[in-house]
Amino acid sequence: MSKIGITALVPPELIFACGGEPFDVNNVVPASRKYPKNKLCAWTAIWKEMLIKKEIAVDSLIVVAGGDCHNALVDGQNVAMSGLPTHFFFYPFDGDPEYLESQLYRLSGFLGDIQFPEKPGEIMELKKLGQMIDMKRSCGKISPAEAFSILISFSDLRGDMDGFRKAIASIKESDFELDSRVALIGVPPIYYDFHEVAQSLGLQVVFDELPYEFIRHGGTDIKEIARDYCNYTFARPLSLRINFLREELEKRKVDGVIHYTQFACHHMLEDELIREGLDYPMLTLQGDLPGNTPQQIKLRLEAFREMLERL
Amino acid sequence: MIGLDVGSTTAKIATIENGEVKYRITSTHNWKELVKGIGNDEIISTGYFRHSVPHRATVTEITAAIYGVRHYFSDVDVIVDIGGQDTKVIDVRRNNFIINDKCSAGTGAFLEFVANYFKIELNELGRLHLKAERVPDINNTCGVFAISEMISQLVAGYSKEEVVAGMHYAFARRISFMVPQAETVVLIGGTVKNEGLVAALREILGKNILIPGEPQIINALGALKSYI
Ligand code: SF4
Repeated sequence: MSKIGITALVPPELIFACGGEPFDVNNVVPASRKYPKNKLCAWTAIWKEMLIKKEIAVDSLIVVAGGDCHNALVDGQNVAMSGLPTHFFFYPFDGDPEYLESQLYRLSGFLGDIQFPEKPGEIMELKKLGQMIDMKRSCGKISPAEAFSILISFSDLRGDMDGFRKAIASIKESDFELDSRVALIGVPPIYYDFHEVAQSLGLQVVFDELPYEFIRHGGTDIKEIARDYCNYTFARPLSLRINFLREELEKRKVDGVIHYTQFACHHMLEDELIREGLDYPMLTLQGDLPGNTPQQIKLRLEAFREMLERL
Repeated sequence: MIGLDVGSTTAKIATIENGEVKYRITSTHNWKELVKGIGNDEIISTGYFRHSVPHRATVTEITAAIYGVRHYFSDVDVIVDIGGQDTKVIDVRRNNFIINDKCSAGTGAFLEFVANYFKIELNELGRLHLKAERVPDINNTCGVFAISEMISQLVAGYSKEEVVAGMHYAFARRISFMVPQAETVVLIGGTVKNEGLVAALREILGKNILIPGEPQIINALGALKSYI
């Protein structure tokens, strides 16, 4: 089975159906302890460097370019020029399902065509379990850190559906205090212990925006997948994303919002508009290099908790 | 009960006795002198070292600043706390705060570069500024480049006093990028004892600027007030 690197959300339904084993190259970044040389965003710079040096072993790479991240588009080309077979995948900004369908057909051609048409249905079943974990976490039955580690893995299902199913089954439930319920929006923090740190400072993450996209979309064939994934909010106009967030945050009764952004990432430019669009106390964080959560970020989290307590 | 603020360069203690604020200030590494004879459970700590000094409770500098400022001014829109290593802008009305701790421009460290360059004490900068007849434009918002720009203005014939004033304006512009819409801005932190910088901030911010009597001890006082 060939191992297929992905740089952001690429329907894992299609990769498994084509007999591939997806591997989200971002997953190695937070614990990588790498300080890349030529960098803007550390996420793309690190996977680029590790792929070129073959420190991430994949047989090919799918770069999510259109509707997602320009840094990934450039760093992905860098990897392609180093000789790794690379495919560029584009989401439609206008959400046109037919365009996405044509992209998915091109992608399946790159992957060698569908051999296991039952896989997308099986993944949909797993995603239902993901939705369950998400719900239990927002009711304080599963810790935010444990829920996050499963939800973020839905981009590639850890390359092993059976193993992942077992990991989900082994999640322990208990009761967690939910004093200050916060939503974590934007890209995921580059710090591997962020959710634990936030919890230790009295902030419980009850919503993770990007991982929620990973469990929200599905479909049993290319047509259905295209119809569903064309609403991947990160690739769509910001106004749509804000409306979607409003509904989710309302449902989860959050007290505040943490908007995590990354140094040299265009999402930082969205901060002002998101603040205007969401009527919640909001903390904006900007991370850069990976590792554990630094003191400067902890100070902001602590101050934000104190602020929520004062309201 | 006392408030103890141990920051990156100085440590301060504040108490309220018969309604009057009493305080002492020393350098960070001498903070222990401030709490001699005071039990740990009487200390409410804040500042960079808030978790590593003995305490009954801790509070961040952001919350401490709000409580401390309210002791003097009941109606506050925005607080600007200019510290040695960072600057915090707290939007009290809209419940928001921003911290600049990535870049030295706009923090006390920036003015230390200037003082070091002229081999003078930090607290002399304000006095020099007031003697300036003209103010050269220093446009760079990066601390390091501003210093080279300052040197070229000296070469161009501006006096030391004028260049120091130019640096204060560059500093004030940098701070102004962080300050939101507000009528009243309260300045706190040791750096605002510099009257040259305050003059530049008044002009650049164009807002009603308030400064408490001893701006350096506000967070120590606020730590105490957040608890009692
Ligand atoms: S953080 Fe921003 S710049 Fe970095 S990979 Fe994600 S979208 Fe791209």
